[in-house]
Amino acid sequence: MNRVRLIAGDELRLMVRNRVAVIAFVLLVLLTLVAVASSWAHQRANADLRARHAAAADAAFDAQPDRHPHRVVHYGHFIFRPLGPLAAFDPGVDSFTGNSMFLEGHRQNTANFGDVRQSSLLVRFGQLTPAFVLQVVAPLLLVFLGYGALARESERGTLRLLMLQGASRGQVVRGKLLALGIVAVLAGLPAMIGFALIAGQPGALALPMLTIAAGYFAYLALWVVLILAVSALVRRSRDALLVLVALWAVVTVLLPRIMPDVAGAAVPLRNRLQTDVAIARDLRQMGDSHNPDDPHFAAFRQQVLDRYGVTRIEDLPVNYKGLVGMEGERLTTALFDRYAGDSYAAQDRQNALVRAAGIVSPAIAIRTLSMAAAGTDFAGHRRFLEQAEAYRYDLVQRLNRLQAEGVSYADDTAIDPAADRRKRVEAGNWDAMPDFRFVGPSGSALARAALPGLLVVVGWLAAAALLLAFATRRLGDRR
Amino acid sequence: MTEPAAPILIQDLHLAYGAHRVLDGLSLAVPAASITALLGGNGAGKSTTLAALLGFVRAGSGRIAVNGIDPGADPDGARRQIAYLPENVALYEHLTAVENADYLLALSGERHERGAITDALTGAGLQDRAWDQRLGGFSKGMRQKVAIAVALLRQVPVLLLDEPTSGLDPRATADFNALVSAVRDRGTAVLMVTHDLLSAADVADRIAFLEAGRVAHEADASGPDRFDVRALHARFQAGGQVAA
Repeated sequence: MNRVRLIAGDELRLMVRNRVAVIAFVLLVLLTLVAVASSWAHQRANADLRARHAAAADAAFDAQPDRHPHRVVHYGHFIFRPLGPLAAFDPGVDSFTGNSMFLEGHRQNTANFGDVRQSSLLVRFGQLTPAFVLQVVAPLLLVFLGYGALARESERGTLRLLMLQGASRGQVVRGKLLALGIVAVLAGLPAMIGFALIAGQPGALALPMLTIAAGYFAYLALWVVLILAVSALVRRSRDALLVLVALWAVVTVLLPRIMPDVAGAAVPLRNRLQTDVAIARDLRQMGDSHNPDDPHFAAFRQQVLDRYGVTRIEDLPVNYKGLVGMEGERLTTALFDRYAGDSYAAQDRQNALVRAAGIVSPAIAIRTLSMAAAGTDFAGHRRFLEQAEAYRYDLVQRLNRLQAEGVSYADDTAIDPAADRRKRVEAGNWDAMPDFRFVGPSGSALARAALPGLLVVVGWLAAAALLLAFATRRLGDRR
Repeated sequence: MTEPAAPILIQDLHLAYGAHRVLDGLSLAVPAASITALLGGNGAGKSTTLAALLGFVRAGSGRIAVNGIDPGADPDGARRQIAYLPENVALYEHLTAVENADYLLALSGERHERGAITDALTGAGLQDRAWDQRLGGFSKGMRQKVAIAVALLRQVPVLLLDEPTSGLDPRATADFNALVSAVRDRGTAVLMVTHDLLSAADVADRIAFLEAGRVAHEADASGPDRFDVRALHARFQAGGQVAA
């Protein structure tokens, strides 16, 4: 048996004989199993619930009786974003941003402007998910199991004993790497088993899953290397523990909490109330279709009359009120889109700042990687919002067109007792409206989005490896 | 016919820690199947000599070889030729005496059956009830016996001992010396750094006094130049001022 394996074997034997280490390891495994089971059950229950609600909302919309189309515009429609299988592994911002929306005419859902968007990439600390266990808890276990791997040998004089048996510095370090690497693999195994179960689900995409697996592998390898580098550089194991726990606290807890606040302060974002007030103000200035003296709508009216070659709206072959509804929706949607665009741009700048913080915190990098590959990051939420808004606009304009073409202007403006019945269109029209279908990103798009985080983690791993190589050369020297 | 090179060979070795000169032209040869005791006052350079042989410090100039290998250039190779017993024996407390021996011997590339290990532990004076106990509760003497057993089992040409009888009672010292003599008799070159002049006189074939980083006096244990323990003791008490 070669020296590396002998040294690794003895390190593992020490861990097995250390009851605290065994208990800590068992606790981690239990914690991971609970996280996998609860996330899985939660995700399945949510997915079922959303599917049921989506079907019920579609059925309720389609089952509306004969109605005036504009009433349907305000009847609204609930839509739901289906959860991808990887959301069970890393729910990301899903629990905070929500996945259901109420759509109606004249307004965008103000979820687009909710305060929850503030730096929403990384503040989600503390959910018990397999991703959280691997990002935060597993490194702490590795720290407690590995801090003394080399420092203890130096401190007790056994490092020289190893070297005196002919083991080189490199063999000693590689032996410790192998031992702690095995522990890291075992620590990550329950989460990866959960991951494999997810992989068996329909809709799971291979490329993002491989990216996630590679990312967590590199992340845990980084901790293993970093722990041994610190253990080799300090003289006492107590000092190694102190340095590593401080590093863990800063990198995995403190920075991921602070950086979103820093980003929020650097790129301020309007809150929902401010946005609502600003939009209401702009809407007032935009024009009033009911005011015959409103310059925009007066010009619009003239433009319509000219197009159809008539002088009165009563002579139009289509219902002018429907056309006004379409124009009003176009205007308000453009206004909402402008606010949404500004907000998205600010959020992009915030998120870019937080992503850049991955350079000082690999935990931030692995979180961005994990959420991006799982499709549960803010980009995933934004994708849902944008598709929902596109669907809302299309639906409302279809209804406005139905009003313009299916209800005559005379009937629409009549007030006789039978007018209400004449204003209605057949219920079959509702069923003809398309249902909302969320189109998820492709596997390659998700993997591409996760790539920057992966590069940062790999960069950290390379830097840690260089540090360990430097520490290895100094190992056992008189200091 | 040329005489084979001594397993421990030091010629005109100079070594300094910064401005502090520790070895200053040290020359020493320990032939196979012999024991050399290296004596000297504190700071004379005894521990540094061992560290240089073990490849833990590099000499500034001069020649040093362990069974023909320069420990400065190939420390791992040199260490594979050496069994070393430090003053403060460091062993693994989570392992039993047998496991310690088995692990260390395996690391050095030697596998021994449990019977051979327990025989060596017995030979080193460790009682059988202690063989399978973890070292956490072992006294210094018991740990030393485990380390001696490992050194005995290692089939290497060089044995380095650093204050081996420190803390041992006279009976244990005599037992230890007998073991070292047995190792010598199978052809090993033994260099023993010690303050224990009586023990050195009892077991060594040659005795060398180190003073200010060089050998100031050497004496044989037999023949016309054999050393006089009383005279050596008197000189040692005088602070290592030994006339050549």
